[in-house]
Parts: sequence; C-alpha cells; structure tokens
Amino acid sequence: MMEIDPNISAKGYARPEVLVSTQWVADHLNDPSIRLVESNEDILLYDQGHIPGAVQIDWMRDLNDQLRRDYLDSARFAELMARNGISNQTTVVFYGDKNNWWACYAFWVFQLFGHTKARIMDGGRKKWIDEGRPLTREKPSYPRAEYIAPERDDSTYRAFRDQVMAHSAARLPLIDVRSPKEFSGELLHMEAYPQEGALRGGHIPGAKNVPWATAANEDGTFKSAAELRAIYEEQIGLKPEQEIITYCRIGERSSHTWFVLHYLLGYPKVRNYDGSWTEWGNLVGVPIERP
Amino acid sequence: MGRQFYIENLLDHYENPRNRYKMEDATVSITGGNPGCGDLVTLYLKVDLEERVIAASFEGEGCTISQAAASMLTEMLIGKTLGEVREMDIDAFIDAIGREVIVTRPKCATLALNTAKAAERKYRAARVLQS
Repeated sequence: MMEIDPNISAKGYARPEVLVSTQWVADHLNDPSIRLVESNEDILLYDQGHIPGAVQIDWMRDLNDQLRRDYLDSARFAELMARNGISNQTTVVFYGDKNNWWACYAFWVFQLFGHTKARIMDGGRKKWIDEGRPLTREKPSYPRAEYIAPERDDSTYRAFRDQVMAHSAARLPLIDVRSPKEFSGELLHMEAYPQEGALRGGHIPGAKNVPWATAANEDGTFKSAAELRAIYEEQIGLKPEQEIITYCRIGERSSHTWFVLHYLLGYPKVRNYDGSWTEWGNLVGVPIERP
Repeated sequence: MGRQFYIENLLDHYENPRNRYKMEDATVSITGGNPGCGDLVTLYLKVDLEERVIAASFEGEGCTISQAAASMLTEMLIGKTLGEVREMDIDAFIDAIGREVIVTRPKCATLALNTAKAAERKYRAARVLQS
C-alpha cells in the first residue's frame, strides 16, 4: 500500500494513494524508489525545463506501436521501463501539461501492464511552475533496471468497438468527454484543432456528454470527491457499480475521466474506449446520434 | 548534427522568435490552423514587383514545435520568389529543423510551411481576380 499524502487525503477520494501533491514530490526528489515521469502533449516542454530527476515518456513515440494502431507490447514496455531505470518495485509519479491530460493517458497505458505503483502529481506541470518550484534542463541518467512485464491486459480497463456497440445497445452508461460541439456533431475535433480524423460527426447512441476538463480546477488539480460526485452522480446519474465506458477522439482525454471515475470516485468497472470517435466516426454502418 | 543540436535550435527559436510581429503592409497574409496541439500561425509576406519575398513575419500560438518552425521558416522565406516558396520541399524543411526531433509531430512542424504555400496560392488567386 502506498503512503497517503496528507495534502490529498482531505479531498475525500476513494483511492487517495494514486495522487500526490507538488509538495510531496518536492519532498521526495531524492527518493530512489520514486521515478518522476513527465508526459506532455507538447513534446519539447520537457526540454525547456522539467522537475529535477524526471524522465520523459511521450505518448506517441514511447507508448504507441509505430506501425499498427495499438499500444506497445509487453517486451517493448519492459524495455521502456528498463532504460528509464524503472523496476517493478519503482513507484512512478506522472505529471504533465494540460491538467495532466497526457499524464493520465500514460498512467492508463501503464495499468494495461499492471504497473500499480503509479501516481499522478495533482496539478501537473503548471502548478509546479506556478509555485515557483525548480526546473532543470539536465537530463538524468539512471542505471538500467530489471523489469518483467506481463502480457498486456486489454480486458480490464480497455474497451473495443464491438464491446462498445453492445454496451450502447444495452443502454449502459457511456461518457463522451469531448467538447459539446464535438458531441453534437458540429465539429469533428476541438475548436481550433484540425477538423479531421472522422468522416461523420455526432456521438455514440446513449452517450452523455461531460467534457473531461469539468473534473479539473483552474489550477489543474482535480476537483474534490464531493464536487466530482455532484457532476457524475447528481448531474448525469452515474451509479458506482455500473459498467461504464469513457471515450473521446483517440482515448487520451477520456483516460483523464477514466482516472477520475475509477480511482478518485472508486467505481470498480470503468473502461476506456481508445478507438473512440476516430474509429466510431469512420465505421461503416454503425449508429450515430445527433445532436 | 545530433538530436540535441536540433532541440537547442528549436528552443532558441521558440524562446527568441525571429520576425514575430503583425505586418501592417503585408502583400498577403493568411492564417493556418492545425494539428493535435491546437496550433495557429498567421503568416505575413511582403513581396516586390518580381514576386520576391522582401519581408516575412508571423504571429501565432501553440506548441513549441509549431511556433519554432514558423520562426525558422520566416528566415528561410526572405529572398525567395513566390515560385520558389511554392516549390519548397517539405521533406527538406523537416530535415532542416530536425527530423529526429519532430518525427512524431510532423503536422506541427509543417504548419507554417503549408501556410506559406497557401499564402502563395492566395496571392495568385487575388492576381487572377485583379487581371
């Protein structure tokens, strides 16, 4: 059991051990059992300055298969861990830009390989910088670690299109975390982003729209458990024991909501559909709902 | 030149952008919106009677690569004819700014160049309408 950061416990989460505060990270900068991992959308932010000792893991370069649309396999995950000095016993603390959007995505991929010693730094890169904490451009070098990776588990936290189709037909809860205009079909991507990647706009039948950043405060930290329950339980009627699937465009924004529902609110059966709208919006013959 | 050289060069252009201003007397200007980073670049070109670029500038916001590449591009554009801008090779541009660094973000890296090519087309279209 990972120790609980007292700065986090007051927020009332079901699994408070998965979050740590910026202060906790500052207090553990020289802890050899911890590896800080920065994951960003903007790949050069790390090079502009990162938390001392942090390594960078990029979702596109490091976590995706470079040929087929899928994640890296067990052997390459083990190699990624080994070369970043991460052993099976290392606690990984993720942080990044944009409310930890990509940090949550990396966290999710790590869970496909069962690396449960994983935490997120609440508030991410922005909060660390806003607090005037130190950054460095020095890239750390760690001795190669031993890492044994199991086969990737695609059944517990990951949903595929046929499962989503059955889920939708059964009217089980689907959470579309994209922007309202993407949900309505008016846009195929966020405002100001290229309108590409799907031939049809709209949402999966039965989905409810809760944009992912609804779960974050202005400073990038996660809202408290009470505030999150008000959004997901009172406003859209989710019940903790339900089977829930989250999706967005490629599964990155929805990994943030997956993290919120599964860890912060403790819902046991939440999966992320990484095919998301770039798959569904291109499939021939599948049902689509608008607005 | 290694990966670190290209990273340092991109960061230098991002932190000390060249030709980043709104050009009030531009011959042609155009905004390009782009990739997975919400990048925006507005490019301004001033050309002489021989259609040679005598000034190039940009404004924009977005990820480091998109803005650094726009800065680097403006330096490359000055002195080129619009015909040469149209023929600029995207692969060669990627090599110049650091293929190894931007390999997973090609759309960010080429936003400014594609916007420059769109500016050339806009210029041509305006000339057709005037003639």
